[in-house]
Amino acid sequence: MLAVFRRELRAYFLSPTGYIFMGFFLLLSGFFFAFSNLFPASPSYINVLGSITFIFLIAVPILTMRLLSEESRQKTDQLLLTSPLGVTGMVLGKYFAAVGMFLITLLATCLYPIILSFFGTIAVWEVVGGYIGFFLLGSAFISIGLFVSSLTDNQVIAAVVTFSALLFIWILDWVLQGLPTDRASGIVFACVVVAGIVALVYFSIRNIFVSVVIALIGLGGVAALYITNEFFFDGLIVRALEWFSLLKRYEDFTMGILSLSPIVYYISFSSIFVFLTVRMIEKRRWS
Amino acid sequence: MVQVINLTKRYGQHVAVDNVSFSVEKGEIVGFLGPNGAGKTTTMNIITGYISATEGSVKVDGFDILEEPEEVKKRIGYMPEFPPLYLDMTVQEYLNFVSDIKKIDRVTKKRSMEKIMDMVKIGDVRKRLIKNLSKGYRQRVGLAQALIGAPPVLILDEPTVGLDPKQIIEIRNLIKDLGKEHTIILSSHILPEVSAVCERVLIINKGKIVASDTPENLSKRLGDTGRLAVRVAGPERQVLKLIRGLAGIKSVESTGVKEPGTVDILVEAEKDIDIRRPVFYALSRAEYPILQMKPLDLTLEEIFLQVTTQEKEVS
Repeated sequence: MLAVFRRELRAYFLSPTGYIFMGFFLLLSGFFFAFSNLFPASPSYINVLGSITFIFLIAVPILTMRLLSEESRQKTDQLLLTSPLGVTGMVLGKYFAAVGMFLITLLATCLYPIILSFFGTIAVWEVVGGYIGFFLLGSAFISIGLFVSSLTDNQVIAAVVTFSALLFIWILDWVLQGLPTDRASGIVFACVVVAGIVALVYFSIRNIFVSVVIALIGLGGVAALYITNEFFFDGLIVRALEWFSLLKRYEDFTMGILSLSPIVYYISFSSIFVFLTVRMIEKRRWS
Repeated sequence: MVQVINLTKRYGQHVAVDNVSFSVEKGEIVGFLGPNGAGKTTTMNIITGYISATEGSVKVDGFDILEEPEEVKKRIGYMPEFPPLYLDMTVQEYLNFVSDIKKIDRVTKKRSMEKIMDMVKIGDVRKRLIKNLSKGYRQRVGLAQALIGAPPVLILDEPTVGLDPKQIIEIRNLIKDLGKEHTIILSSHILPEVSAVCERVLIINKGKIVASDTPENLSKRLGDTGRLAVRVAGPERQVLKLIRGLAGIKSVESTGVKEPGTVDILVEAEKDIDIRRPVFYALSRAEYPILQMKPLDLTLEEIFLQVTTQEKEVS
C-alpha cells in the first residue's frame, strides 16, 4: 500500500495534474482570501473556508480522474493485481495519495490565517475546526471521484461523471426542498428502492427465484413498516436523500462547531466509497 | 508446480477457455502455442489471478489461486502481452516500485535489481524514462519486472513480440537460461520459437488443448521434413519425370522458373521417409546439379489444420 501511495503521489508531481489541481485550488482560495479578508480587513477566516467549497466541483475531478482509469487503460493494473499487494492495498494507496495531495495543498493555504494573525487576533480553534471539516469534506468527495474512476478506463468520462455526481450533491439541498414529503410518495419511494435492489440482484446473479424472494421480502418489509409505524414514510424521500447531503454537515464546521457526528459521517462516507471501489474492481475480474 | 484443472472461462455466450487441464512440473519450460484468440492470454491471466475462472481451479505449489491468492502471486512472475509499465517513471524507479509491491526486503532489493538489470541488459537505460524507450527495451523492462523477487514460476505472454531478430535470439537464450532455475510457461504464435525454447508444447485452439507433446514428437507427428523445395539446373520435364520415378515420393510439382536455366520444384514425401539423399543422388547421376534444397517448415495454419483434423479422426 505504501509503495502505491508513494508512486501515486510522485505521479501527481511528474504530470501536470498535480500542478493544475494545486494551482487552481490556490488561485481561487487566494482570490477569496483577498476579497473577504484582506481588502475588507476582516479577521474572520472561517468564512473563506465556508465559501470556497465550490472549488471541489472542478478540483476533485482533476485529482481523481486518472487514479484507476489510467491504470486499466495502460494495463498496468495487471501488474498491481497479479502482485501480492491485493486490491484493497492498491485502492487504499491510491485514495490516500489523492487525499495526501489535497492535504499538501491545504497546508499551503494555512499561510492565509498566519498572515491574518500578524494584523489581528484570529479564532485559532475555530480555524482549526474549519480546516478539519474542510479536509474531511474534500476526502469524502475524493472517495466519490475514486469510485467513478474505477468504472471506466477513460479519464475524460471519469472527470465528467465525477463532476456530475458532485454537482448533484451540490444542488441536493436545493432539490430536496421541492420534493414531495407526503406519506404516499414515501411508500412509492420505498417500493422503487426495493425494485432497484431486486434489479441489482437479478443482474448480478441472474436467478429469478432468488430475485422474486427478495422482492417479496422487501415489499413485505414495506407493508410491515406501514402497519407498525406509518409515520416512517412521511418525508422519507427527503430523509433518505439527505444522507448524501455532504454540505449540510459541513455548515456546523463553518459555524465553529466541532462535533463528533459529522466527523464520523464523513469518515464512514469515504469508507463506503472506498469499499465500493474495491468491490467494483473485484467484480470486473469476475465478469 | 502448476496444476490447471478443468478450467473454463465464459464471457457471456462466448467460451474463451473450454475445460482445459494440464500440469507443469518443476523446472519445465512449457510453450503455449495457438493462433490469436485461442485462449492463451485468458488462461495465463487466470493462472496469475488477474481474472477469475468461471469454473475449474488453478494450483501453484499446492496453493489455490482463489483460496490463497497472495501465496500464489508471490510465486509467480508475470509478463503480460503488453508489459505493464508506468511511462512516467524511469527504469530504475519502476523496478524499485515493483520490488516494493512485491514486498522485497530492502537489504536484498538493490543487489537483486542490479542482477536482473544485468541479465536483461537494461543497465544502460536505467535512468531513462520508460516512455522514451523503444519497444525492445520496454519488452525487456517488462521481463525484468517479472523476474523481481525470484519467483519460482514465470509466466511470459508472447515475450518476443515486437523485437528485432537479434533481440529475439537474446531473449530466447535468456529464457533458456532462466529455465534452469525457474518453471516457465510461455506463449507464442510462432512455432520455431516454441520448438527452440520449450521442452513441451501445448497447442491450444478455440479454448481447447488439441495437442501436448515435445516439439520433436510434434514435428515428427506432423512430418515437417516431408516437403522439400528444390532448385535444379535442368529441363523441367526431365527433372519432374526423374523425381517421380523415385520410391517414397507422394507428389512432385513445378513452382516455376525463378532463375534462367533452372526449375523450382516442390517434392512431398510419404510419411516417415527421408527423401533428401535419393533426390540428391538421382539428380546428380543425371547431371542436373541441385542449386538449392531446403525442407519446408509447416506454417502454423497447416499444423493447426493437421492437429485439428487428426483430433477429429481420433474421436
